[in-house]
Amino acid sequence: MDRLKKGEVNMAVTFKDGVILGADSRTTTGAYIANRVTDKLTQVHDTIWCCRSGSAADTQAVADIVKYQLELFAMMNGKPPTTQTAGAIFQEICYSNKDRLSAGLIIAGWDERHGGQVYSIPLGGSLHKQPYSIGGSGSTYIYGYCDANWREGMEEAEAVSFVKEALKEAIKWDGSSGGVIRMVVLTAKGADRHLYLPDTDYKVRHQ
Amino acid sequence: MPSPFSINGGACVAMVGKDCVAIACDLRLGLQALTVSNNFPKVFQYGDNVFLGLTGLATDVSTVSDLFRYKVNMYRLREERHIAPRTFANLVSSSLYERRFGPYFVSPVVAGLDPKTGAPFICGFDSIGCIDFAQDFIVSGTATDQLFGMCESLWEPGLGPDELFETISQALLNAVDRDALSGWGAHVYIIEKDKVTKRLLKGRQD
Amino acid sequence: MPGFDFSNYNRNAALHARGVPLPKATSTGTTIVGCIFDGGVGIAADTRATSGPIVADKNCEKLHYISPNIWCAGAGTAADTEFTTALISSQLELHSLSTGRKPRVVTCMTMLKQHLFRYQGHIGAYLVVAGVDPTGTHLFTVHAHGSTDKLPYVTMGSGSLAAMSVFESQWQPSLNRDQAVKLCADAIEAGIWNDLGSGSNVDVAIITADKTTLRRNYIKPNERTAKLRSYVFPKGTTAVLNEKIIPKGDLGKFISVEELTEEGGDKMEVDT
Repeated sequence: MDRLKKGEVNMAVTFKDGVILGADSRTTTGAYIANRVTDKLTQVHDTIWCCRSGSAADTQAVADIVKYQLELFAMMNGKPPTTQTAGAIFQEICYSNKDRLSAGLIIAGWDERHGGQVYSIPLGGSLHKQPYSIGGSGSTYIYGYCDANWREGMEEAEAVSFVKEALKEAIKWDGSSGGVIRMVVLTAKGADRHLYLPDTDYKVRHQ
Repeated sequence: MPSPFSINGGACVAMVGKDCVAIACDLRLGLQALTVSNNFPKVFQYGDNVFLGLTGLATDVSTVSDLFRYKVNMYRLREERHIAPRTFANLVSSSLYERRFGPYFVSPVVAGLDPKTGAPFICGFDSIGCIDFAQDFIVSGTATDQLFGMCESLWEPGLGPDELFETISQALLNAVDRDALSGWGAHVYIIEKDKVTKRLLKGRQD
Repeated sequence: MPGFDFSNYNRNAALHARGVPLPKATSTGTTIVGCIFDGGVGIAADTRATSGPIVADKNCEKLHYISPNIWCAGAGTAADTEFTTALISSQLELHSLSTGRKPRVVTCMTMLKQHLFRYQGHIGAYLVVAGVDPTGTHLFTVHAHGSTDKLPYVTMGSGSLAAMSVFESQWQPSLNRDQAVKLCADAIEAGIWNDLGSGSNVDVAIITADKTTLRRNYIKPNERTAKLRSYVFPKGTTAVLNEKIIPKGDLGKFISVEELTEEGGDKMEVDT
């Protein structure tokens, strides 16, 4: 059996009030879709989430370890960790096990000090702080779109629309991306989940 | 290079009857085409109730049969009673799975009567300890395809000890006659509540 | 816990390098499914175990007990699914005694995934874990590499595509118990008829908050018809060179048997 891979598209963008993560929902083994409603946006702390791409087993295991370490950090230090801290912990695991892992991660979070931030960790385990980041096999099709339409400091509605349209394009062109579009909006108010279904052409926000 | 299961050859079968079980094996030990011995029995007895048939790589057959002789002896010393067939089956399964990533190349078969109820018990295993609890028959060795065919057609439920002997013997003899790597005689054990009958069969010596 | 013994590893690796093929373990070709309904969850499986192209066991049990309220269906290498579920079942019972609480499905799922991830997929266990615990009704799939999915209905094994087609056409939210059981059984039957690796009978387990019902051989669509004649041979058909009858009492002459008298009620009745 081919390893369970999340061929996919995901992205995280900073906007005026915080950061938005978005992803498709398809998990494949070879050409068969093992899960068509996967949730690839994983919470590792109250307002620190990550987008997982690559091997399902590897990314789930790494995210679980980081979640545990961040919970311990919050308990020991009496305050929530910053997104940068989360990024550093992810990097430590991904870099030192680079030969054994197949994981592409995008970490996005909101903290009191720095507001919304996006860190991307590609296959080798390097850490890159960016205003927005796209990942997954389907992301290759939307580099042009994102480059042309991205603006610094968008409003929430604009940013949601930007992410949604970008993911729609990637889903259209990439066979290993599809299903529903899931998003998480991280602001001072906390984490807010969005769900858009292809039945309603991704226009209506479902619960 | 051949599979470790077919270098030495061998065949073993166990069947359930009415208040009795039978287990039989061929006697050949070979090195691929060359027959080295016509007296290499593959059924071993542990306690008054438990019989283990082992086919596969001959060195592992010897090693595993000795390993279980040790484990069953320790069981007898500690528990002060004979091991029941069902318990022995679990012992075999765990011992084989312990070697999950470097397995013994054997296909064991266990047969016996439950000491308390006298109910017949047989089961087979793959080389890593997956137990196959069968109600009818278990086959193992290089002649499994032939044995499956013979047993599936000849076996019926409720055979008495004499009938069971004829059935298991005919199944084994005719199956190994179509297998170049098995044969050269056979041992058949008929296990009943009060006695065990061991017979040496007259088979083709080719 | 005592782990795996790797002493034969070098020998077998050397043999394999010289071209010796690795032994074929019993695989459950398999169709397994799970489906959540209003008030609980149902899982079902076929009963065929294969060894290469041969059917090794026509009626094996693929529904494994984890705890009274958590059951698991297993596909992949039969020995691996058997031992992995038994190991986690034992760990979960100790955990439950330690916490003083009923075991949770997520705990079982986490123990399984962490165990399997450690072995990087070499333990070939593909499981459907289902149960009802104080937090609710849950259904998970666990893959051999250690990834998990949480879904309302799942299928796994070689017959999973056949079974999933039944689910995708007929599943709806808020099924009742009977509808869910029928759906699961239909999905398994799709696997039995259309997948070569699955066959024989359908086993079903239904788990609700108050109890679990295991229906072994719920449907038997492949019963063998009676044989047209009996093939029993007359006594004396087989030529015997040598016969030795060992009556039970005489066993002592061939194996050393010392019957120790048991005093009092000291017997350990562990095996029932």
